[in-house]
Amino acid sequence: MTLKQFIVRAALLLGLVTLVPALALAQTSATAGAAAGASVTTSAAVANLTAAETKAQTRGDTEIDRRTAALTDLNTRVQAMQKVTDTFKQSLSATVSSVISALSTLKTKIDADTDAATLKTDLKSITDSYRVFALVLPQGRIAAAADREVTLVSMMSTLGAKLQARVQAAGQAGNDVTAPTAALTDMASKLQDAQTQAEAAVSASAALTPDNGNATQMASNTAALKTARGDIKTAQADLVAARKDIDTVVAALKTMKTSTTASTTAQ
Amino acid sequence: MAKWIIGIIVVVALGAGLWYSGVLNTLMTPPVATPATTGQATTTNQQAAAQPENGMSANNDASDAAIAQDTAAIDAQMQGLTTDSANVDTSLNDKSVQ
Repeated sequence: MTLKQFIVRAALLLGLVTLVPALALAQTSATAGAAAGASVTTSAAVANLTAAETKAQTRGDTEIDRRTAALTDLNTRVQAMQKVTDTFKQSLSATVSSVISALSTLKTKIDADTDAATLKTDLKSITDSYRVFALVLPQGRIAAAADREVTLVSMMSTLGAKLQARVQAAGQAGNDVTAPTAALTDMASKLQDAQTQAEAAVSASAALTPDNGNATQMASNTAALKTARGDIKTAQADLVAARKDIDTVVAALKTMKTSTTASTTAQ
Repeated sequence: MAKWIIGIIVVVALGAGLWYSGVLNTLMTPPVATPATTGQATTTNQQAAAQPENGMSANNDASDAAIAQDTAAIDAQMQGLTTDSANVDTSLNDKSVQ
């Protein structure tokens, strides 16, 4: 089995076992060169490599370390996600962990390479695996940002209910509540849109699969990820606007004569 | 007449058995509302029954102190969103060094 064949088969296999509907992060692995390598030799044999090859080896390690750090950080963030199911989190985490493990194996293999041909093949597999990394990382980051946005929608909705109770009480006490009422209405609209945009971001990015060198799919993936990024930004802008609405309402309430101990009682 | 008395005794015994086992309590307890996740700032029904999240105050507390606490909790999450959003940018702009 050639290295390329192995990469494709590994991609298909791992893609099949990743089955989260909302964020089906199809994955290939960077184990290509690592798994293909049979023998692990001592570092003493590194002397067989030229200075340029040793430099390339170091550069490869650096690249793998950089990706591993980014994925590890993503995994930590995934664990803190609040608005997704446990199944979703576990699957996303498993996907990220799988890529990290594959990179670790590949690094071990590269460090043990003693001949130029094998090293060249393994270094190329870093580039091949980059296509996986370049998809999985933004997919995870987008999902995490969307999760945070939905969390904020929930929190602001809760606060909005309280503010509405206070505004209602102020109105009943004879205050002019036109401005805070308008702010609450705008806030509701912004939160609704933020929710919609956050969901759209995940929908646009979750089902993407690595391009495996297919230029058309690569362009399609890039476009989808940028669209998702736009959705995240729009939702973020909505939330910033909703936050300002909160300030507007709170400031208005401070100028009104009304009870400050109102409570939301609706069940 | 005896059949009626026996029937009533059976019904009463059955009801007592259900009450003792807790089945009736289960059926008579109203369902707990689930937290709303949609962006309806003016909705009070579902949030009131939900548990506070991420440092928020009690859901039925609309006092000045509670509003201040909620605002602070929201600001903390907004900062987290700024970080998350920046991470999305970084991930999309990443270039392989190979």
